[in-house]
Parts: sequence; structure tokens; C-alpha cells
Amino acid sequence: MRVMLCAVAPALTAIALGLLLEPIGDLTWARYGYSLAPDRAALLSLALVGAGLVVLAAGLVIAFRAYRRANDFVAAAAELDDLLECNQEIVTFATLANPSALESGRARRTPLFPVLWRRAIALFGGLDVRREFRLEVGAPLRRSSIFAGVVALAMLFATLGLVRAPTPESREAARLRAIAQEIAKTATSSDDTALAGKIRAAADALENSRLPPEEKKKRIEDAMKQADKAAEKRNNSQSGKDQGTGKSSAQSGNGSGKSQGQGNSSGTGSGEGKSGTGAGQNAGGNNPGSGKGGTGNNSGKNNGGNGTAKNDKNDQNKSDPSNIKLQNELAKAEAQVETANAKNPGPDNQPGDDKNQGGANKPGDKPDQKSGSQPDPNRPGDLPKPGANGDRNIPAAGGNPKNNKDMGSNLGDTHLGEMPTSTNAQRFLKPGEKGSTVDIKDARYVMFRLPGAPIAGSGGKTVLDTDRPKATTAYVNAPLAPTSDDAPPDERQLVPPRYRDMIH
Amino acid sequence: MGAAPQQVSPDQRVADFRKIFSRAESEVARVIVGHREVVRKLLTALFCGGHILIEGVPGLGKTLMVKAASETLGLSFKRIQFTPDLMPSDIIGTQVLTESDGLREFQFKPGPIFAHMVLGDEINRATPKTQSAVLEAMEEHQVTVFGTTYVLDPPYIVLATQNPIELEGTYPLPEAQMDRFIFKVVMGSPKPDELREILNRTTGTAQNKIQPLFEPASAPQAIEELKALVREVMVAEPLERYIISVIGGCTPGGPGAIPEVSQYLRFGPSPRGAQALILCSKVNALLAGRVSVSYDDIDDAIVPCLRHRLLLNFQAEAESVSSESILEQVIKRLKKPRT
Repeated sequence: MRVMLCAVAPALTAIALGLLLEPIGDLTWARYGYSLAPDRAALLSLALVGAGLVVLAAGLVIAFRAYRRANDFVAAAAELDDLLECNQEIVTFATLANPSALESGRARRTPLFPVLWRRAIALFGGLDVRREFRLEVGAPLRRSSIFAGVVALAMLFATLGLVRAPTPESREAARLRAIAQEIAKTATSSDDTALAGKIRAAADALENSRLPPEEKKKRIEDAMKQADKAAEKRNNSQSGKDQGTGKSSAQSGNGSGKSQGQGNSSGTGSGEGKSGTGAGQNAGGNNPGSGKGGTGNNSGKNNGGNGTAKNDKNDQNKSDPSNIKLQNELAKAEAQVETANAKNPGPDNQPGDDKNQGGANKPGDKPDQKSGSQPDPNRPGDLPKPGANGDRNIPAAGGNPKNNKDMGSNLGDTHLGEMPTSTNAQRFLKPGEKGSTVDIKDARYVMFRLPGAPIAGSGGKTVLDTDRPKATTAYVNAPLAPTSDDAPPDERQLVPPRYRDMIH
Repeated sequence: MGAAPQQVSPDQRVADFRKIFSRAESEVARVIVGHREVVRKLLTALFCGGHILIEGVPGLGKTLMVKAASETLGLSFKRIQFTPDLMPSDIIGTQVLTESDGLREFQFKPGPIFAHMVLGDEINRATPKTQSAVLEAMEEHQVTVFGTTYVLDPPYIVLATQNPIELEGTYPLPEAQMDRFIFKVVMGSPKPDELREILNRTTGTAQNKIQPLFEPASAPQAIEELKALVREVMVAEPLERYIISVIGGCTPGGPGAIPEVSQYLRFGPSPRGAQALILCSKVNALLAGRVSVSYDDIDDAIVPCLRHRLLLNFQAEAESVSSESILEQVIKRLKKPRT
């Protein structure tokens, strides 16, 4: 029991801290702008809960063993013996009077057993079980609170070690989660719930560094599509209401406005927004974003706002501020993915992997074509359109040539569009030759091929080493001449008298 | 004092044992100054039915102590001075040709070994052949001369002495024979106060007479009954396991042997060592007024019972590691079993 009391507080503290780590992380995020790295926080949480469970399990095992020991006749006698300091008299008595081994105990008894019996009874007479075996809760709890404090301190230090300034992705993910939470809170249909789920999935994907960028983008786009779908449904039901009441005159009209989008890019994209002429639908004459300038790849074509339904939809979507916000955040998230992808090219994007598709610009590309500003995701008009070519509006760096094969030439710089061309120079020089100077100015990579090691074996030749140092003194490997035993000793000592007879 | 104890209660028997033991100690202390532990071990060995090896320089009063103990207990006493030319027949006895009624016949003349208490002075000076004759009598409590076996009267105790100096020309007892002594006690030099007391007692006119506890006729039986009482003392199973673990812990490569044992010992104690431990612990328990052995009783008995049963290796001798220090380490490190 005392063991359990000692174990329970630190174990429960560890488990509680482990379970509350996520809310604590949210709190630090909300209050101080710092967050716990999600994977490490999960690991720490798991470790804390695991440690708590292990301590609890260990306490249970010890308690069970103590219970079993208390049930063991001889072990209980040993406990009593220690308590009363009886010099193992009670243990001996218990051994000889053990009910589970009565026969063997009887066989071991001697005529002195009655004396032992009387002494044991006398010792038991002085035993107050309630006093001696009182359950003391205070001391174990005090001890356990110290352990609990140690656990909490350890957790605090671990948390401090794990706290990181949030990355742009995690900030974005947090904002998306907040929106998802809001949507889920005010959800009126299953679409809203699904939308909240999609947004959460997109947020998780955004924070997950192990996911490839394509997957992240896919999830974000899924969320965008779901947002469109939900908004469309909402609007359909709303327009139905308006038509029914005839109050839609203010919003109706022939929309014939031209939409001249002017993107942030310096491209010359200009588009004609064919706004809707649909019945009573709100025409998108004032849709500043529908005709965004295309990227260099778009060759000035305007892909935006070409369709009644789309413009209508976009206009209606924008009438809903929460939807605008959501779209904004999703677009930002997508931009973050792109930026991160550009900054951290994956292992398959290493220059050596695909030599023909490296990040270097190729002659003929227009490097300054995209040097203009990038679309500002915070501006509603700059929103990339889901389903349209919004993704192409986001500049992609040349870090992922596989994905952007046709865009790789837009990026980076070249030296006046010239690249060194290889000549038919001799690849390997003979010993002593120096060869012509290789002009590697402005080259990004220079490849060398080292000659292989010569094959040993057949063509060896023995060369005498005439330069080695030689001995100046003649020598011979003949044995030394034997020394004469008759040589007089260097000194003489007197033999002690007692040994004189022994030495002849 | 030596009345038949069958009629007395067990409590009374225990009380009598303690009384006799303490009186014997004090009677011996009349003539022997100091060396209380040696006297205690001598009496313990007597009640355990074992023999004792005393090691000490000459002039410490070894012979006097044994003589005083025998006189106190009313037992017969013989002393044998071992020399290299001593023959087994000089100890055991021999057949002598006698003539009575005109008939000549061989008659057995018992040697000095036929006594209750035999002091073998400087046993390591005798040849192995003579030592073996004594050691056989110690173990079997009988001697065989010309095909006839003569039983030695109980109680029988041999107190052998060894001189740790002047080892030239001696025959150190082999380990197998050392194992037959229940204890090996070391007599040290007396302290200054004790030496002053010795001088006062032995150089003056005062004579300290010993008062025997038993009549010579009843003494053997009384002693035998006290020896039987010792064997009636009970030992719990956990304590028996502890003794076994002590023996295992002192045996190189044995279960629970500590590193020092493996490092410094060639051989550990034999089962005789465990027997000696239990018997000595039982006497200790009785002297404490208990009828069951405790861990303290065992711990007190470990060093005198096992010190001469550990065979040190060359490394131990080179590093001056004693068997006593190894035993103390074993006592410190061994855990007492609880069940």
C-alpha cells in the first residue's frame, strides 16, 4: 500500500502531463507564440504516459508481491521478527508450526520446542498490530510528491527544450485549424463537417515534413474544392430564397463588365472576363481577380473569369467573408508549400540525380521573365482560382525539375545565356603532360573522371634501389669469439665463514 | 549441578547450561588472565563435540588454560609434547608383554590419548605419521592397536597448539587435517593490565584454587547431556539457507562467491565447516538464553569456524590478505534470506 502511495502521485502526474501536453502546446502557442514541435511533442507525450504507466505497473507488481509476502506464513513471521527484533525466534517458530508444512515442521521439533512456543507467544503478547502496522499515508505521499515534482520539472525542461519558434507552415496550419474549428462549430450540414475535416487534413499535411509537397498540395486543393462545394450549396439555397421573395433585383442585372485582371507579376497577361449573362445572377463585373495576369508560361493568356458559372461562383464566394478568409488561408498554405519546396529541394532534386534536368538555366530561357513580384496571397484579388490555373500563378522555383520541367528554364540566372561547351579534349593526360587549360569560368559543375587503378600482375619489372643508405663500416654475421673464463674478476669478496665449507 | 536433566523442564536445562558455562568461564579465569574469547571457544568446542586448534607463541598459558578447564569440568587431562621422533605408539599406546600366574601375554597399555581432554602441544612438530594417528582418534573417537579397537571415553576433546614462529623442521598440518578442528583460535599477547595481573598472580604467594563443577565420576555424563542440549536447539530453514550461502560464498566458483574469494582462494570450506557453523551457532543461542539460532549467532561463529578452512592462494599471501578479512567481506555482502 505504501509502495502504491509512493508510486501513484508521480505516475499520475506523468500521465496527466502527457495527456495535457497538446493543450499546453496550444496554450503556449496562443499566449506566447511558441509551439511544440508536433512530432517531438507527441513523442514526449507518449514517453510521459508510458513512463507513468510503467511506474504504475511497477507499483502494482511490488504491491502484489508485498501482498503475496504478507500471505506467506514464514515471510509474515520474518516481517514480525524484524519489527519486534526477536532474533529470528518468530521465524523459527513459524517454520516449525507452518500449517502448510505441518508434518515436516513437527519432525524438526525438539524437546525445546515448548520453550520456543512460550517465548513466541510472549513476544506476540507485546505486539499491538494496530499500532505497529498503522497505515501511514503522510510520509509516502510526501515522498511521492517529491517524485512527482521531479517528474514535473523534468517535463518542464523537456518542454523548454522542445519549444520552437513556429515555422510559417505551422502558423498557417494553426490558422487553418482555427478556421476548421469555427466551421465545425457552426456546421449545419454534412458538407460543412466534411469541409472542416478537409481543412484539418490540409493543416496536418502542411505541418508534416515527411509528406511530399505534391501530397500537401493535393490535400490543400481537396480542401479548396470542398470549400467551393460547400459555398456553392450554401449559395444555391440562398439564391433560391432570394428568387422566391423577389428581392434579388438589386443583385440582378446584365453583367457585361470586362474584367481586366492585372496580376502582380510583370507579365503582360490581360484577360477578358466573360461575365455571366445568366438570369438574374450576379455578374462578375467587379471581379478584380478573375483576370489575373498569367505567368510567363501562360504567354499572356488569361485563363481567369471565362465562364458564367465561375465568375458567379467566385463573386458569390467572396460575398461570404469567412469563405474568403478560408480561401485566402488555403492559398497561403499552398504558397508556403511551394516556397518550402523551392527552399528545400528533395533528395531526388539533387543536381547530380538528373544531369539533363538540373536547375541551371538553359540558353534561350528568359531569366528575367519572372523576376517580378509574386502574387500576394493576402490580396483577395490575387487568389489563385481553384480548378483553374491558379497553381500556375504561383511561382515555382527551379528546385524540382521533375515537377516543373517546363518551368525550370524560367528560374535562376545564366551568364548572358551562354554556357561553356565541351570540346573534344583528350580526357586523360599522360604522365608529365599538363594539357591545355580548361576554362571553367561560370560553370556550375565540373565533372571529372578519374582513371582506374592499373591492373597488377603480368607487367611487373624489378628495379634496383641504388639510392638506399649504405653502411660505412664493414660487418659480418659471424659469431663472436668466446670470452675467456680465466679472466680475473673485477673484484673479490670474502666468502662468509658459514659458506666456506660449502664452496670448493 | 550434574543431576539427571530428564526430570527437569527444558527451561531449566537451558538455564543450567548458561549457568555451568559461565561458571566454567569464571573458574578458568581464576588462573588464566584475559583470553576470555579463547576460553569461551574452548568450552564451546567441548559442548559442540569438536576439537580446537590454538595458535600462539610459547608462554601464553595454553597448557595452563586446558589444564584449568579440565580441572573445572572434572575431566581427565593428558598432555603430549609433539616432537619429530614421537611415534604413533607413543601416543596411542602399545602391547607390552606381561607375566601373570606364569603366563606371558601381551597387554595393551593405553597411551596419553586416552583422556577426556588431550593437549597436543606443538602438533606441527610431529611427523605426518604421528599426526595422522592423533587425527584418526579425533575423528573416530577410537583407536585400533594390533587389530583391537579401543573406544575413547566421551567427552573427548583434543586441543592442539601450533607455534606460528620457528617453522623450520616442522610439518604443517595438511588442509584435510586442519578441517577436523572445529575452531582455530589465535592467542594474542596479553595487554599491559593483564600482564600485570599475571605477574601478581604467579610471582606471589597467593594461590588460586579451582573449584570443580562436577565430580569426576559424574562429569562425563553431565557434559554429554549438555552436548545433547546443544543439538536440540532449533534452526529455521532461512537460517540454514544462510549458512549454505556462506559456505557457497566462500568457495571459489561457488554460488554467490564474491570476487575476493575467487581472487584469493584456492579452496573453500567443506561441509564440515557448515556443521561447525551450526553447532557453534547453537551454543551461541543457548548462551544468549534462546532455543533457536539467530543470524547474529551465525555471524559470530563464521570467523573462528571457517578461518582455517580457507586455502589462500599465492596472490593472497603475496598481498598479505588474510582469510579473516575475506570472511568479513563475505559476511558484509551476503544477504540474509527472509523466507
